[in-house]
Amino acid sequence: MVIQTKGTARNTICIFGKKLFIFIASVLILSTAVFYISRLAPGDPLVSYYGDRAEKMSPEQREWAEEKLGLNETIAVQYARWLENALHGDFGISYKYKTPVVSVIGERVGNTLLLGGIGFLLIFCLALLLGIMCACREGRLFDSVVCKIGTISSCIPEFWFSLLLILLFSVNLKWLPGSGAYTAGQSGGWEDRARHLILPLTVVVLGHLWYYAYMIRNSILAEMRADYVLLAKAKGLTKRRVLYRHCLRNVMPSYLSIMAVSVPHILGGTYIIETVFSYPGLGTLTYESARYHDYNLLMLLCLLTGMVVILCNLVAQALGERGMNIR
Amino acid sequence: MENKFEIVGIRPLPQGEQEWQKKRRRSRNIQKSSVGAFLILAVIALGCLLCDWFVTRDPGYLDLQNCSMPPNRDFLFGTDTLGRDIFAMIWYGGRISLLIGMAATIISTFLAVVFGALSGCAPAWLDAVMMRLAEILLSMPALPAAILLQAVLGEANALSISFVLGITGWMSIAKVVRSEVRRIRECEYVIASRSMGGGFFHVLWKHLTPNFVSSIMFMVVMNVRSAIVAESTLSFMGIGLPVETVTWGSMLSLSEDAMLANAWWIIQIPGAFLVVTLLCFTNLGNCLRRRMNRGQSNL
Amino acid sequence: MRVTTERAGRRMKVFTERHGHNMSEILEVKNLSVSFDTPQGGIQAVRNVSFTLHSGETLAVVGESGCGKSALCKAVMKLLPASARLESGSIRVCGMDITGCGEREMHKLRGKLFSMVFQDPMTSLNPAMSVGAQIAEAVKVHEPKITRRALHDRVAELMRLVEIDRAEERMNLYPHHFSGGMRQRCVMAAALAGRPAVLFADEPTTALDVTIQAQILRLFRNIQRDLGMATVFVTHDLSVAAEAADRVAVMYAGKIVEIGTVEEIFHDPRHPYTWGLLQALPDFARGRDALYAIPGMPPTLLNLPKGDAFACRNPYALAIDYEEEPPLFCISDTHYAATWLLDERAPRITPPIVLNSDSSAAEAVKRGKEAGACMAGAADEAVLLDVQHLTHVFSINRRTVCKAVDDVSFQIKKGEIFGLIGESGSGKSTVARCIMNLYRPNGGIAPAEERQLHGETMPEKSKPRNAARILYKGIDTCDPVQFRKHKKMLRSTRQIIFQDSGSSLNQRMKVWDIITEPLRIQHVVPPRGSLRAEAQFQMHYVGLDEAYLNRYPSELSGGQRQRVAIARALSMEPELLVADEPVASLDVSIQAQIVNLFRHLQQEHGFSFLFIAHDLAMVKFLCDRVGVMYQGKLVEVGEAEKLFTDPQHPYTKALLSAMPKAGNRLAGPVRIQR
Repeated sequence: MVIQTKGTARNTICIFGKKLFIFIASVLILSTAVFYISRLAPGDPLVSYYGDRAEKMSPEQREWAEEKLGLNETIAVQYARWLENALHGDFGISYKYKTPVVSVIGERVGNTLLLGGIGFLLIFCLALLLGIMCACREGRLFDSVVCKIGTISSCIPEFWFSLLLILLFSVNLKWLPGSGAYTAGQSGGWEDRARHLILPLTVVVLGHLWYYAYMIRNSILAEMRADYVLLAKAKGLTKRRVLYRHCLRNVMPSYLSIMAVSVPHILGGTYIIETVFSYPGLGTLTYESARYHDYNLLMLLCLLTGMVVILCNLVAQALGERGMNIR
Repeated sequence: MENKFEIVGIRPLPQGEQEWQKKRRRSRNIQKSSVGAFLILAVIALGCLLCDWFVTRDPGYLDLQNCSMPPNRDFLFGTDTLGRDIFAMIWYGGRISLLIGMAATIISTFLAVVFGALSGCAPAWLDAVMMRLAEILLSMPALPAAILLQAVLGEANALSISFVLGITGWMSIAKVVRSEVRRIRECEYVIASRSMGGGFFHVLWKHLTPNFVSSIMFMVVMNVRSAIVAESTLSFMGIGLPVETVTWGSMLSLSEDAMLANAWWIIQIPGAFLVVTLLCFTNLGNCLRRRMNRGQSNL
Repeated sequence: MRVTTERAGRRMKVFTERHGHNMSEILEVKNLSVSFDTPQGGIQAVRNVSFTLHSGETLAVVGESGCGKSALCKAVMKLLPASARLESGSIRVCGMDITGCGEREMHKLRGKLFSMVFQDPMTSLNPAMSVGAQIAEAVKVHEPKITRRALHDRVAELMRLVEIDRAEERMNLYPHHFSGGMRQRCVMAAALAGRPAVLFADEPTTALDVTIQAQILRLFRNIQRDLGMATVFVTHDLSVAAEAADRVAVMYAGKIVEIGTVEEIFHDPRHPYTWGLLQALPDFARGRDALYAIPGMPPTLLNLPKGDAFACRNPYALAIDYEEEPPLFCISDTHYAATWLLDERAPRITPPIVLNSDSSAAEAVKRGKEAGACMAGAADEAVLLDVQHLTHVFSINRRTVCKAVDDVSFQIKKGEIFGLIGESGSGKSTVARCIMNLYRPNGGIAPAEERQLHGETMPEKSKPRNAARILYKGIDTCDPVQFRKHKKMLRSTRQIIFQDSGSSLNQRMKVWDIITEPLRIQHVVPPRGSLRAEAQFQMHYVGLDEAYLNRYPSELSGGQRQRVAIARALSMEPELLVADEPVASLDVSIQAQIVNLFRHLQQEHGFSFLFIAHDLAMVKFLCDRVGVMYQGKLVEVGEAEKLFTDPQHPYTKALLSAMPKAGNRLAGPVRIQR
């Protein structure tokens, strides 16, 4: 027995190491791709640094400026230099904000995590709850109403839904603020933050909830059609017990793995909502950096997003493998 | 009474179900809601196609005297903050919105079929790599990725935006194509066909294509839907088509000004058209999926 | 014979017991009707069924698929899906009326009063839970306050009851660690946990191999004897029913058409459907050149015809059968049958059942015929297919390989029917696919390895000694060069037929398209003018109506689909036909139709035929020579008659003794009476 556990421990380390290697390799590939694509794209990065002055520059001035920003060399050299600096923790400065990229992102990342994190947790729990409730009442009024609402809400673009909410609650009724993360001038009050969060959070949650609830419902129903449920009932188990001990238990691994994959999706959804609500998070930042060719900022944002994507994928894969092993 | 107990043996029974009854049953199986969805969609599509005939105003004309007019007899749906007629913009804008949806779907379906079929026919290790790639791309948040690509491509036009949406939306179809190809390849009728000497192209044309086309049809229709959503989102954010190019999304990009003027019609009318169109697509897609599922469970 | 008397004695005991206490009547079902709501309309799955069950008794419910057997059991246990409705009737268990019980009351009764074992042991256990936990769960429902220790002991006890050794160890294993037979034992342990008074077994042995089936049947008998419970045993196989049951109920189209003790049903059947079923048993076909097949197909329960549902397949149908449903006539205390033939006004009919009592004469006839066939066949004794040292290895992953076929050699002569039998996973299908060049035989001893084995390089030996070779008409089809050279001939003269699984025909092609596919692939000019005419001809040939020409496979029944597959294979006029379990998924009566068709076509065309099956009786009936496969090896080959009467290999012996024989119970004279 002891030997066996040792073996599995070594196995775990082995698997973990492999995953880590895959992770680092993927991040490297990703950073190269993003670097090349962003430099090859049309657009003048000097504009983002110097604003309108860039257009009036003499050729000598341009050359000097490019040299200063390290833009005059080949892309490969630029990449190598960027990589070297990045390994030392220096990701360069933002052309637009003229401060280190890390600090620009650092200011905003909390806001996105707050919105995305709470949204994700809410979606996770509510979807499970709704899915189970629908599966229990398959074909009845509650189920069909939830499914109908889900279908309809999946057809409403998030940005338009946000607009409607703003129009209704902040323009007409004036109950809730329609933009920003806090009222200008007074940052810090929890109550204020919460009030600003309500509308964006509603959109995030309602936009994704139905899809996952529907998925949970369908996979529970598929389990309920399996033969072992009949045996469990023939043994004398109650319906509730069969549902929780058997069906839900079997559905959970795949649900967890799907939820892991969808972390980036939900975060990606918040990016758009952030721009509609002018919520100072990573979404607005990405949008701006893409528009103004703020390379260093864009690089780090892409890398962060990509890392989340790859990490979530690895987690999901691990979860899925565990589920498969049990079967 | 006596002849009732005579052996008559096997007699053909009157056919339990006549052919026309069967047909009627089949037609009843097609749901009313999907017929309704199809009709609405047809009206919208025809309206967009033939708008030159019945729309009198120029959608691009800035009528600065009549900015932000609420719906009235002159302007059926009102005017936007730049004084353009929303009624005209709806139809001309729908044209481009639908066009982009279709074009993006064609591009992504083409990519998906090629990628999926290659992956399905590839040896196991290559298949694993390709599917891994598709999965990672799939879990990328689609809209930010599209924003990034569009920003990189520069000033958008209908073609470039279709291209961007096409190459960000093919992964899920590719996965289905691949698993269908794998499944069908293992099917006994394909094995039988191969043992009779059916070549690769015979199997591809006679067996693979008809079978996976039906199973991806639903996803293709859903893809049109998500392409339209994505286009409108991009245009709304100002990264997609410029304001001068009228689409349902770019009409909504004026919403900030509209909000200040509290002009609900600028936001709600194009949005309503958008949502109704999307609903119709969803309904058609669901109908296709149900039909496909029924076909399989009939076995 | 001995078994029969023993059983009769037991039944006498039961009988006296029954009259001793009235309580022995455990289950009483009266006029039960159940219908399902489907989008196409209501399906009457169970119609007006009544029966009683006494303690310690086994009732076998026999019928073809879709006749409402399972629905009946599930209706009693109230396990039917929500679309089902109990229309009328009453159910009493142990003197308690449970007809009106809701889910709340039922889950208290299930497990304790009655329990159920299902058909497919692969799906009826939760894959994500250890078997011990699943059995423990069933115990705990009924004894919620049981201690851990006691629970553990009880689970081990239950597992020992169903004859699982090393129960303590195996408790913590998951279902995927077990084979099908072991899983079925686990299912039984879970079902027996609440000490039920009635056990429903819904085709518990259908998904299992013959030898395992025999073990499970024996286990059922033992447990029933030990626990003294009543069993309802649902099966489609009459010979299994004869082995397992005391009484038999024959169901057709949702109705019990005949019910009686085993002796009554097998020796004195009264309903034409029972006659048909009995005749369709290959045991009865001894000395004939065709199996009896009930004509037609079982009806869908969707819109049943007026009158007796069986009339349209009944050669003895009376005029009244087409107008009025027959009531259940009483023949004796225990024997009832629903047919107008039992009405006093009906003409007297001699049951058409020939038993093996006078089989010696028939046997002689057959021998003579066979001798004649051999004489005729002597002219082309030529070997058509010669399989030598065939080995095929599947690699599961990089390290483990699985030898599916291991050094198999046999020959098929021209015009011969060669049967290949063996359990699932014994490599039969792999052999078929290797012969058809779908797999390349990859095993044997690879040259390099052999060199290593011999320690020396052997350049003079170009081919290893044991190289797999499949010679078809003298052409080595394993050799790519030769194969390519004769590709067209090989592909048009060898054809394969698969088990009907719904995937053997392309769902999106019409029937005539499917039948003429090989012609189009090989660019053969259709001999009968157009492709359509060719399809028409072939359909006529395999007994399909022309009206099906433009249908899709999903509109056909299983038997019809298999006919289409046969027509497709025959359209190339093959010289070798390989059939991989062609009848395994069909109903008994349809199986007989298809096997008859094979025999008929083989006589007409004279092709060689490789018939792969796990059903010994069919092989015995159809084949000239038989090979037995066991774990990838061909353990015995021989003439069919000889192999079945005098098996040499221990596995063949085990296989033959495991075969359920209705004949055993049927020995003795048949009373032909009215």
